[in-house]
Amino acid sequence: MNPVTFTKIGAGAVCSAAAVVLALAGQPVEPARNAFAGEAWQLPVEAPAARPVAAPLQSNCLLCHSMDYVTTQPPLTRPQWTAIVEKMRGKFGAVIPTNQVAGLVDALLIAPGPGGPPK
Amino acid sequence: MGVNLNDVTSQSSNDSARRSRREFLHDSARWAGALSLGAAGVGRLVGAEEYQHPFANGTRPLVKYPQKRPLIRLTTRPPQLETPMSVFHESLLTPNDAFFVRYHLSQSPPRRELLEPGQFRVSIAGKVQTPVSFSVEELKARFEHAEVVAVNQCAGNGRGFFQPRVAGGQLGNGAMGCARWRGVRLADVLKAAAPQAGARQVLFNGLDAPFVPQTPDFIKAIELDHALDPELLLAFEMNGEPLPWMNGFPLRLVVPGHYGTYWVKHVHDIKVVDDEFKGFWMTPGYRIPDEPCAAIEPGTTPKKTVPITRFNVRSFITGFESGQTVPAGRDLALRGIAFDGGAGITEVLVSSDGGRTWSAAELSPQVGRYAFREWTTSIRVKSAGPLTLMCKATNRLGESQPMKPLWNPSGYMRNCVESLSLNAA
Repeated sequence: MNPVTFTKIGAGAVCSAAAVVLALAGQPVEPARNAFAGEAWQLPVEAPAARPVAAPLQSNCLLCHSMDYVTTQPPLTRPQWTAIVEKMRGKFGAVIPTNQVAGLVDALLIAPGPGGPPK
Repeated sequence: MGVNLNDVTSQSSNDSARRSRREFLHDSARWAGALSLGAAGVGRLVGAEEYQHPFANGTRPLVKYPQKRPLIRLTTRPPQLETPMSVFHESLLTPNDAFFVRYHLSQSPPRRELLEPGQFRVSIAGKVQTPVSFSVEELKARFEHAEVVAVNQCAGNGRGFFQPRVAGGQLGNGAMGCARWRGVRLADVLKAAAPQAGARQVLFNGLDAPFVPQTPDFIKAIELDHALDPELLLAFEMNGEPLPWMNGFPLRLVVPGHYGTYWVKHVHDIKVVDDEFKGFWMTPGYRIPDEPCAAIEPGTTPKKTVPITRFNVRSFITGFESGQTVPAGRDLALRGIAFDGGAGITEVLVSSDGGRTWSAAELSPQVGRYAFREWTTSIRVKSAGPLTLMCKATNRLGESQPMKPLWNPSGYMRNCVESLSLNAA
């Protein structure tokens, strides 16, 4: 498998989910450099999540957005996270089998930073 | 290059840096409790690599992007960057390299090949008599140029302060900026295509794209009457320079007084339609409760929603970060900004006693009805101890800012009186 640069992930090339996860696991290659009025058309390399995140998040979320979309959220309830997962499935085309939704929500409940899930 | 958070959190050999990070996280939790009833709109820089919003889980890296100075990064892909409040103290026009960035779709910003002069064109089609398309150079040559100094602000600016907290991009108050936009009038370009009788809305699509085709493309609709308003621009310049890559190069829509969701970046596809567009980003996206001030009882669901449109009134004290120490027993010069959806700011009041008493600030000359309005004043810092400053603006329509934050489930249109906590010593 060819390595994938963030430039490609962020800016247009088709790549596989496995390749995305590989890049996000901390093995990005040197992004392509292009001139833009003397400055590179190059986005910073996507850093791995600040803390380890569960496998269901890696496989279901990272295709379309970086993990900080999850980890910057405030403490949300199970119904709130479930609604978000259903929005991603129903409106955004995330392919998440129905029998995996509950497990994904379990992972999301503990994914954000300080504060943890609401009591 | 991006900050590698693993480096920050687990591989740092600098113990004092690690200790201070723990303290800030502790501070963050404390702030979250202390401020749950109040309205503190300003965070603070933490050294050269971090920014701390005064809400729980509000630690963000400062990251350098192309054509940008290090900015507060909310998300990486697609990128969302906020401007530190101190930037609004530097100049009334927000510098291009500090202007906020907000994208929705994975493939953002669009890659260079799509944006180059030989490649990029904007087309106007749909219910028009003459479908047309133009390169940016052709637009510049064919149509009269126009300028407007206008604020752009994200609908969710300040979402992180909502109580109860709501899901979505957890922004501080840095998703706003004021720039001089130069371009051609959208109305002139639309007239060149000649909308047909019965045309109702104009749709705008940019070259940012989703990763999977099932994700709705970011397309916005504007009523034809509004689209023909000569204030709307197809802008190619920002503060006298070509648009930065991440602010819409080479062409973006400018909709003065309206939230940034309508300011479609990299706009290449304009379509006139004779019905009401129902794409995701118009419904259910970017809608507010159909209630006064877009507000409902916290934690409830709106009965009816409408698309978000114009800014409400906001004002900020610039030049201080939360928790900064100022001298006691002296006069303290204050300066800040105010803006609204275009009616015009008529008054800014300042309080240094938690909102019990207020005094009028002096308004600087108006640069434009859609621009930041600068205000200045000074207060007497009588004694040492905690000092809470507030400002409150009113516009020509008599609209002002509530003391208590209003709430809606999407975290849009925050405009309460913000407070700034300082220490006098």
